[in-house]
Amino acid sequence: MTVSDDEFTAYVDGELTGAEAQRVAAAIAGDPALASRLEAQQRLRALLRGHLDPVAVEPVPESLTQMIAAAAAEDAERDMTDTKQHEPARVLDFAAARARRDDQVRAARPPRLTLPRWWGTGAAIAASLVLGLFFGMRVADDGASVTSGGALVASGMLAKGLDEKLASANEPGKLRILTSFRREDGNYCRVYDAGASSGIACKDAQGWILQRTVANGAPERGAYRQAGSAAGELMAAAQTMAIGEPLDAAQERAARREKWNK
Amino acid sequence: MNASTSQDRFCEELTALLPRLRRFARGLARDPADADDLCQQTVERALKSRQSWQDGTRLDAWVYRIMRNQWIDEVRARTRRSQTFTHEEEGANIGAPGDLAAENLVELGNVGRALARLPEEQREAVILVLVEGFAYKEAAEIIGVPQGTLTSRLGRGREALLRELGEIA
Repeated sequence: MTVSDDEFTAYVDGELTGAEAQRVAAAIAGDPALASRLEAQQRLRALLRGHLDPVAVEPVPESLTQMIAAAAAEDAERDMTDTKQHEPARVLDFAAARARRDDQVRAARPPRLTLPRWWGTGAAIAASLVLGLFFGMRVADDGASVTSGGALVASGMLAKGLDEKLASANEPGKLRILTSFRREDGNYCRVYDAGASSGIACKDAQGWILQRTVANGAPERGAYRQAGSAAGELMAAAQTMAIGEPLDAAQERAARREKWNK
Repeated sequence: MNASTSQDRFCEELTALLPRLRRFARGLARDPADADDLCQQTVERALKSRQSWQDGTRLDAWVYRIMRNQWIDEVRARTRRSQTFTHEEEGANIGAPGDLAAENLVELGNVGRALARLPEEQREAVILVLVEGFAYKEAAEIIGVPQGTLTSRLGRGREALLRELGEIA
């Protein structure tokens, strides 16, 4: 019985199965020359692996694992965005999620404070921010007065904060962004809390136009509750103005890169 | 449908592959610093094109192919560079591009030296089958040649190594 070189090599490399493999194995068993060729091939493989295998047990550089972890985080973020785009196919899930969210908001809500129905995850985050903010903060002594009507353009620190701050980042400072969204005309709008007053500002060619501002309340008894309902009012107004969901963290950053120009 | 699951799996599997990818990189590039660079570039490329990976197919073969192509690009770039700076006659004696400096060859030991002397196409065939354990068909797909070409390169590489390492192998 003869074994060709190709057959022999294929056997050595584990390419043969079943009857073919048995035939070559039998030939090797009956032929010392073939047996020593097999041994030489096995030693060669062992030498090569002995040379390179140690690399595979070295610690992997962190730069590599970190690069992959960063990509995984990016995917997770994009998934959240994608989910919104696929909303129609997942209505049931969303309805259930919304119901759960409403329950959570109700549970978290102190008595006599009415919050509007939030319109998405971003707003749910904003809701918790509002609660944290208004139930934890000290109302400024100089409670600002309500202004509305006319085209009030934000300037100074307010304009700067509206340009730079992110709702998702809990940055220190007097100005906090509660949520960001797009209005029907495509302009970006942001609900902010500037300490003494809160409002909604929308960006157009002139700058940040204040759509609505409310005082957060005078330093009187019950000021906290008023402050809470002021923010609730703004969020309700924002919900009416907005098209779609509030911006998520990634969208917000993207909008900031574009200087909030639609 | 389960986009997130497949992406998660991609990143998990890629992380699990890193030790093997580093071994393959070292086999191709030989120089540890070059191998690290190669690995870095490969992971970057793999992540960039991760949307094109078909879930359910072998990720290892997919990434190995990226690494192998990346290395061939590097070898070609080095060839161009060395041809720019040397006369043609000298260039012919420079050996396979990507070859190590003589002092590094000493540190490689017998096995490393024998591997380093193989032409690029034989070395990759030998490493994919004998070290990385790919089947002929898979190795041929990674390199992008017919299986017959792979086995003939493998055969020639194996012969050369046995000749060179005869007394220890």
